Amino acid sequence: MDPELGEEVPVASIDKELRKLWEADEVHTNASLINLVTCSEQTGSLRQNSAIIRELTREHACRAILVEFDRTVEIPSIRAWITAHCHLAEGKKSVCCEQIAFVFTGRVTGRFRNTVFGHLNSDLPLVFWWQGELSDVFRERLSSVIDRLVIDSSSWADPVANFVRLNEAVASSTLDLVVQDLAWTRTWQYRLSLAGMFDDPVALSALPSIETVRIVHHPKHRSSALQLLAWISIQAGWRQGLGLAASHEGPVETFPLESKSGHAITASLEADESSAPLGLLELNAPGVTVRISRTAGAAHLLRELITSANSQTSLAPADPDDDAGLVGAQLARGGKNTLYRKVLPRFLELLGD
Amino acid sequence: MTNPFREDLVSRSRPESCTVVIFGATGDLTHRKLVPALYNLAVDGELPTGVKIIGFARREKSDAEFREGLLELNRKVSRSGHDDAIWGPFSENISYHQSEFTDPDGYKRLAERLDAIDQERGRKGNRLFYIASAPEFFDPILISLKEAGLNEAAPGCWSRVIVEKPFGTDLATAKHLNEVVNATFHESDTYRIDHYLGKETAQNLMVLRFANAIFEPLWNSRYISHIQITCAENLGMEGGRGGYYDHAGALRDMVQNHLLQLLSLVAMEPPTDLSADGVRDEKVKVIRSLRQWDTPEKVAANVVRAQYTAGHIDGAAVPGYREEDRVNPESTTEAYVAVRLLIDTWRWSGVPFYIRMGKRLPKKSTEISVHFKPAPCVLFNALPGGVPGGNVLVIRIQPDEGISLRMVSKLPGTSLRLEPVKMDFHYATSFGKGSPEAYERLLLDAMAGDATLFARRDEVEEAWKFIDHIEHAWHQSDNPPPMANFTAGSWGPKEADDLLDQDGHAWRRL
Repeated sequence: MDPELGEEVPVASIDKELRKLWEADEVHTNASLINLVTCSEQTGSLRQNSAIIRELTREHACRAILVEFDRTVEIPSIRAWITAHCHLAEGKKSVCCEQIAFVFTGRVTGRFRNTVFGHLNSDLPLVFWWQGELSDVFRERLSSVIDRLVIDSSSWADPVANFVRLNEAVASSTLDLVVQDLAWTRTWQYRLSLAGMFDDPVALSALPSIETVRIVHHPKHRSSALQLLAWISIQAGWRQGLGLAASHEGPVETFPLESKSGHAITASLEADESSAPLGLLELNAPGVTVRISRTAGAAHLLRELITSANSQTSLAPADPDDDAGLVGAQLARGGKNTLYRKVLPRFLELLGD
Repeated sequence: MTNPFREDLVSRSRPESCTVVIFGATGDLTHRKLVPALYNLAVDGELPTGVKIIGFARREKSDAEFREGLLELNRKVSRSGHDDAIWGPFSENISYHQSEFTDPDGYKRLAERLDAIDQERGRKGNRLFYIASAPEFFDPILISLKEAGLNEAAPGCWSRVIVEKPFGTDLATAKHLNEVVNATFHESDTYRIDHYLGKETAQNLMVLRFANAIFEPLWNSRYISHIQITCAENLGMEGGRGGYYDHAGALRDMVQNHLLQLLSLVAMEPPTDLSADGVRDEKVKVIRSLRQWDTPEKVAANVVRAQYTAGHIDGAAVPGYREEDRVNPESTTEAYVAVRLLIDTWRWSGVPFYIRMGKRLPKKSTEISVHFKPAPCVLFNALPGGVPGGNVLVIRIQPDEGISLRMVSKLPGTSLRLEPVKMDFHYATSFGKGSPEAYERLLLDAMAGDATLFARRDEVEEAWKFIDHIEHAWHQSDNPPPMANFTAGSWGPKEADDLLDQDGHAWRRL
């Protein structure tokens, strides 16, 4: 018995062993709204992911299937463990979610897809969380059966190559595959706050005369910062500055943009080791500053609207820093993520720069 | 110019920043519901920036004292818990305005105060007046707002009013109040709140009916035997509520508003769109189609009223209704009511709807149960004993919000034995995250100008028209239907059971 992964069972007996798990105890409710599959090629990922699933199932009942590919062993094998994550609902009812964990060794092709899909709960949507680079295994016709694909482009060493693979997968999907990038999720509360602040007529009237955009981010989260900038520029109708190239000086990247009316806007991204994933977003127009900031680890964003006449400050929730919180936030929102699709081409342009 | 950053971001109407003026700010509703709701919106980042809250009430209080009282209650009742980091900046936007509700000078000072806020903001602002005072002050507050010019919004801004229940005590008073409201605010700026409509399951009713293809084809007299709506409370008149309740009664306190609203959501036709008037047009047609119990005889045949006598709830002895605090010992007010309703439309012809509401019932529960007709009497129904009960779809409004479906299944074994089984969906089990409080959603909707979940003038008046006939038979006719009794802690009087028994039905056991 593994304290985190539960009981090791023969792969052929997983369903039988799961049934036993429930027959033994009548006080638990088995709940599941989705199939959630996590895939990682990192050794030791199963236990980390099991801990994440335990947190996630507090709010999102699912059948979890955890997969780890162990590339260090060449002989093909599959090991499986089963357990359940139980939580008290409203202080009285114990609600449990099943978890099946697999370790694949050796050549994976063929076995992986069939083994995982043989243990999905029928009719429930499949959320597939691919951790790390999109390797060849990802290409194995997986995208054709996934409803929702969770990735984190911040973790990619070569984002351009990975996005090419991702676009191929989306194009070949027979379903309406929804891609949920955790790097994009990290921008959610910043986007909400910015939208809320531009509800103010003073801020809105200053939008056409924005001159600078400044984003401070943690070096690991450049992808989020670029996606935030891509979203702002798309929504505001800004173009990339014609004939001007992006520049990079130390930790600061500068992107020349151009407003609808043709005036120049300078956007800068600053990497700072002490920053939260996204530490600052500041838009400046003559006489008006819209600023959203977060200190590392803080639970709230500080929103400031500063005009020559006065200033308003308020707090807003910050996006979670942990993966469980980010995936949970994505699952809670659902939707088709059309905005991400809309922003992606601009993001890739900025990324290419 | 529209805010481009809002585009594609959130699929709901956009709430706009405003100053919320709460009349009756020292009352329970403000402390327990309204301010905690606004606070929770701030916690979730849903409250627009720059929202100010002014509490308007008669007692002498400083801003600090007012905030202190709100803080104390928020710590106890806030859905998301209390966080000083959020409360600090949130409470800086709360202030207190002392005035009598009838004092013109108080409103003049309020107008000056609102102007000062506008000046501080550097522009004119939106205003949301929330009338949470005792009902006798509704008229003077509305009239005074008009006299002070506070009902008129500056160009490009809005001025709205939310009116709490009770919205009148009968058709005449409701009409009068509507006239006063509409003489002060445009109907489109008037939000008559019914917090039941803000509850998650009530909102889910339309989704259940119109987003699932399997229910709507069965949702008619061909397949449905009858529908029950139950609102059971185990509380009595604790906390001095007898004073209000003994003047209102179960019919006016709950049926006229909450339960008829639920009825209209269950029975309405699909709206042409999800706009406020699209939905409310269909709801009001249901209320308008109710067969009227307009004689004492019809009331006696279709309505049961009752009071509870002393009994036990959860093992504790409880007094009878007439022995309760602040209740007239000779009271003729009903603490329980059961009504058979018929909706004269093609869809519902011949399908009775039964509504019951009572105090001091065994437990607290509000639910709608849709009872389907039995399967044709062939095959399994021809077996000895037939099929054990028809299908029942239950929509639980509170507590434990959710939906269940009862169906019949074969018991495992070599012989053919049938038993009912239940498919159950619990919000709390499936979605671990708690639903927002009804007031959170409704306040946000009012700030967004979305009146879908608020009652319109004609809905309120049509509901009162139906209720008035019953009240008239009870209190003004020469031959009033009798008052039944039941023991506190039981499921109501025998007469209510008989009401369904006449039709071959029985109340669902909760």
